[in-house]
This record gives sequence, C-alpha cells and structure tokens, in this order.
Amino acid sequence: MQILVGTRKGTYVVEGDGRRRSWKVGSLSHEGSEVFHVVADPRHPGDLYAAVNSGFWGPMVQRSRNGGRSWSEIATPLTPARKERKPEFNSDSPSSPVTRPVNNLWHIEPGLAGEPKVLYLGADPHLLFRSSDLGKSWEPIAAINDHPDRKGWAPGFGGACLHTILLDPRDARRLYVGMSSVGTFRSDDGGASFRPTNKGVMAPFLPTKYPETGQCVHHVAIDAADPDTFYRQDHGGMYVSHNRMDSWVRIGKPLGDDFGFGVASPASAPGKAYFVRLDGRARVTGEGHFQVHEWNDTTRRWRKLLSPKAFPGHFGVQREGIATDNLDPAGIYVGTTTGQLFVSPDAGRSWRLVPFQFPGIHSVSVANPP
Amino acid sequence: MHEVHLDSWLREFGPRGSERLEAESIAQVLDLLESRYPRLRYKLRDETGELRRYVRVFVDGKDVSATTGVATRLTGDRTIDFLHSIAGG
Repeated sequence: MQILVGTRKGTYVVEGDGRRRSWKVGSLSHEGSEVFHVVADPRHPGDLYAAVNSGFWGPMVQRSRNGGRSWSEIATPLTPARKERKPEFNSDSPSSPVTRPVNNLWHIEPGLAGEPKVLYLGADPHLLFRSSDLGKSWEPIAAINDHPDRKGWAPGFGGACLHTILLDPRDARRLYVGMSSVGTFRSDDGGASFRPTNKGVMAPFLPTKYPETGQCVHHVAIDAADPDTFYRQDHGGMYVSHNRMDSWVRIGKPLGDDFGFGVASPASAPGKAYFVRLDGRARVTGEGHFQVHEWNDTTRRWRKLLSPKAFPGHFGVQREGIATDNLDPAGIYVGTTTGQLFVSPDAGRSWRLVPFQFPGIHSVSVANPP
Repeated sequence: MHEVHLDSWLREFGPRGSERLEAESIAQVLDLLESRYPRLRYKLRDETGELRRYVRVFVDGKDVSATTGVATRLTGDRTIDFLHSIAGG
C-alpha cells in the first residue's frame, strides 16, 4: 500500500504496512515544483504519473516505472492551436501570444483495464487530452478544447482548471469532466461530443442561480458499485446524482455550510462518500477542528467522523486532498494545505496523523496492492 | 559568436557549461539550444514562443526579458545569460 502525495514542493511516496497503521515517508521527488496530482496506474503495477508544475520551467508530465524510486519526463501536451511553434525572427518588437499556453496540469486519469495504453489529462486553460500510447503523445479532445462556448468560460480562483475526469467502468465511450467555473460535462461517444450536466446545481455567485453552465464544481467522485451515481462537491454545496449526472440533488444542507473541495467514495463501501466540509469564507475546517463527514446514500444521513477533541485546529483541504483505498474496511486519506496527512484504516472509526510534516499538500491518492 | 550561459537549475535539461553559437535573435538562440538539447524545449519559453513568466534573459548584462524579449536582435559577439527570477516561497 502506498499513499502518493503531491505537494507545493514536490512528490512523496509513503509506504504502509499491511495493517495501514505504520507509514514510512520516502524521499522527495520533483523538488521545488508544485505537484497537483500523483496517480498510480492499476493496469501496470509500479507505474505512477505526476502532474508537475514548475513555477519556472512550466508544466511537465512525469512518470515512474518503479513505484516512485525514480521519475522521468514524458510528453507534455501543448496548446492545440499552436502545436508547432513558429518564432517570428523579423519582428523588432516582442510578439504577443496568439493563444494561451498550457498553464498547469491538474489531473491524470489512467484509462480502463480494457484500454491498457490510454491516459487522460486535464489542464489549464480548460483543456482535455487523451493519449493512446501511455503518454508518448497526446491528442486534444476538440469537443472540449474547441467548444463553441469556451470564450465565456471564466477561470476560478485556482485558474481555468479541468480537474476532474471520470470514466464509466462499463463503457469506455462514456466519460465525465469537471471544470472550475464551468461545471460538469458528459460524453457518451468517447469524447466526440460533450453536453453540460449541471441541472439542479446552484451557482450562488451568478445572477442566474441555476444556469446550464457556470457552476464551480470542485470535485466529483463516482460510486464504485453504481457508476450511474456521483457525489459532487461544488462551490454551491454537496450534491448527489443517480442518473449519470443528468440531474443533481443537494444533500449538504443539513450540514449548514456545505462548502468544501474534496470528495471520495470507496470501492468497498458502495453508497458512501466522504466529504471534508470547510468554512465557506475561511476555506478551512470549521468549528476549530479537523473533520470528515460520511454521506450514506442508502439512509440519506450524514455522520461526522471525528470528535472536536481529536485534532483541534483549522485545516485546509484541496480538491485532490482526500482519497480512499479499495480495501475493506476502507482506508481514508486526507492531506491538508498545512502539510498534515491524516489516515483512517477503518472507514473513519479511528484516525492517525502520519508523523511527518509535509509541505502544503495538493493531492493524495492511493496505489492499492495488486 | 555569442556565449550563452544557463542557470544551474537548467543543467538537468541543457548544457552543463557555457555554449557558443551564432544567432540573429534570442528566439534563434533558443531554437539552436533546443535543437542541441531537446529536453530544453518549453522550459525557457512556452509553446506560444514567449518566455516563461519567471525566466529572465540578459544580453551583455542588460535584462531584455520584459522589453524586446525573444525578438531581441543580436549583432556582434554577445554574452547571453538565461536565469530564473527571484520568486517563490
């Protein structure tokens, strides 16, 4: 079992024992770079991918073929409109960019088991790419990247990020994306076309409260047992959909402030989702302590997993900051913007802090045992 | 012939020491460097051809990053430094 941690200063691989109670933090990779997402490829055990964003040298897709011991840069997708650069030597004045370059890489999603060489990648500004050769090359998904409405797509505070990519495990033609300040979209034809799927999701920051697009989705998790069901953390609250995102029902109102960024749903607990509720203004856990809430979609009830005394303080958690493993009982892993990594090996009954002070954590994911 | 120096942080991608080359512009310097060191592509400038935000280029000690940038014309023999700016935290 490995926890993969992307931070403001690089990548860590944290090795756990079989009981998920003892953790050993490996050395820092991608030193100095912001790492927005690290993910294991379950089709190729030992293969890891990282979305590395260097403040100086730009975005890079990096891959490890040995479980994180070493990494190397593979192809990084470029802005589709100018794949081949043509410098202007005869100009006496600096040329202005014709198009915006790929800014930050946000999410890498390995394809389904039946497509062993497929990868998807989401980037800023609102870009989606697909690789069919494990990242040797990338093809832009025109239905998103050249979408006729994209001129009206505004960036969120974190940028114009395409940060969520979800695949229907039953049908490789069906995929879902989430973009900040734009909302969610579904494709039923392998990415040839996408349509917005935000019905019922409120956009409290817009004059029209329920527009077709413009919602600021923060993250979405798919239910492993029922891939028609999704759990959504939006700027405008916590939602569930039972119909492939055709419509959404707000579930977070009983919590009062149901703001947050991260959500995860474990494979071993169908119908359950874990949200890290944050104070909508301060963007840290409310009431002065670390907390995770469990949504039970069968009973339609919430359960708070941590007592106020467990971990006092105000903790920020970003959109990729919570993950679950595929064991039973489920492990829950939460990384904070102040560098704490919380672990529950028993679906939230007990929690421990990995005894290591990380840099601010952007993403947490799990490399499950084969 | 120009002499080009790269930031030590870029040695992972480019030359370890200085590089000597003929070029008529900063853009052409970058083209030549990238052809010799393919891993340097898109590190100093993005795919639109612009210098990255925190990359600074100096010609004979003068910062041209925010003025003529990659279009800076080069004549004679120049010393060109590519550095990363003071940023971060």
